[in-house]
Amino acid sequence: MIVDKMKKREPSAKNKNVTIDIPVGKWAKCDNCKEIIYKDVLKENLSICPNCGHYFRMHINKRLKLIIDDGTYKRFDINIETTNPLELEEYPKKLKSLREKTGLQEAVACGTGKIKGEEIVICIMDSGFLMGSMGVVVGEKITYAIEQAIEKKLPLVIFSVSGGARMQEGIISLMQMAKTTAALTKLDKAGLLYISVLTDPTYGGVTASFASLGDIILAEPGAMIGFAGQRVISQTIGETLPEGFQTSEFLLEHGFIDKIVERKDLKDTIYKLIQFHKEGK
Amino acid sequence: MEQKKEDSGEAIAKSMFEMARLKVPIISIVIGEGSSGGALAIAIANKVFMLENSIYSILSPEGFSSILWKDSSKTKEAAEKMKLTAKDLYELNVIDKIIKEPNGDEEESFRKISQNLKKEIKSVISEMNDNSLEEIVEDRYLKFRNMGDFINI
Repeated sequence: MIVDKMKKREPSAKNKNVTIDIPVGKWAKCDNCKEIIYKDVLKENLSICPNCGHYFRMHINKRLKLIIDDGTYKRFDINIETTNPLELEEYPKKLKSLREKTGLQEAVACGTGKIKGEEIVICIMDSGFLMGSMGVVVGEKITYAIEQAIEKKLPLVIFSVSGGARMQEGIISLMQMAKTTAALTKLDKAGLLYISVLTDPTYGGVTASFASLGDIILAEPGAMIGFAGQRVISQTIGETLPEGFQTSEFLLEHGFIDKIVERKDLKDTIYKLIQFHKEGK
Repeated sequence: MEQKKEDSGEAIAKSMFEMARLKVPIISIVIGEGSSGGALAIAIANKVFMLENSIYSILSPEGFSSILWKDSSKTKEAAEKMKLTAKDLYELNVIDKIIKEPNGDEEESFRKISQNLKKEIKSVISEMNDNSLEEIVEDRYLKFRNMGDFINI
């Protein structure tokens, strides 16, 4: 009978009582192929699954190490926090615990640093902090970074990863899209280069503001990038979405991004683009 | 449809970008339900007005409650928490003026609202007429540059 075949297999007697001693915090599971990977191996491999090539999300510090020359990063001296405009009871507690857990002040780090000797202004977002969402702190820091780029006449590079505008700050989060975008019109007027790098996942108000406004837009392979989520779009238009919808490969094909760059080549590519831009002046 | 397939994020960003540097006075008026990036994309204005009973928010209350509390049925609670009324947004300095909507006869009320709007639009335009093109752009820039209070720590 087919039902018998569908019965859940009992674990064999041999495996039943065997517990494997896995040191806590030493292993990571790949979301794509489900392979268990030793974290040191993952680290060596730029946080890319050695089994299937899936890109893991990166902590700000790892991304900085990957992109910026050792010892050249100087964070901007801007230390701010939200006023909790919607007066949500749980929100300040949530922020406090996230700060302790991640070692980050907020969902973005901004400062100056060098790429193979070329000084740039850099912003890096982190999905580990409330899904990289943009509230007043993220909006203000990005805007400040743009203003610093203008003042110091430096190229700007922003690595985005975000679920979008931060719900917990309501309309004030929405306004950060306008704030960062308006600041970019000034960078544009100053004739400075802005390279936007989209990493998995970049959605909502971040896609619909500074992330989509780079003079050059790069993306990591296989990154999911969009405004609304796929389920919402599919339900709204009542249609099945095309294969690969919202992947960086799909967006490249449709002209929304300029190039897909493998993680190992990002630093070199950004450096070359900056060089190229300098020559063009 | 095709637009939606190719996603609207970039369109919103580009719309805001162009509005932010347009060298004429811009007035945006929220007349019903203004929500999320679609509303913001046409609201990068020197002056933003709201009709007294309109709403302007980051997302629908359904979406807000679903994302924040993983429960899309808490719409009433969400709507109360979100600060989406004209009065709330005026207090948050997100909008510049509330346009009264008088009760009573619908046609009469509509006429009064229209007259009132006309008066306000005219007054903004004449007020900004004295400004240079650069001042108009800078006025709009500063309005959005200063959106959202924060605490220095």
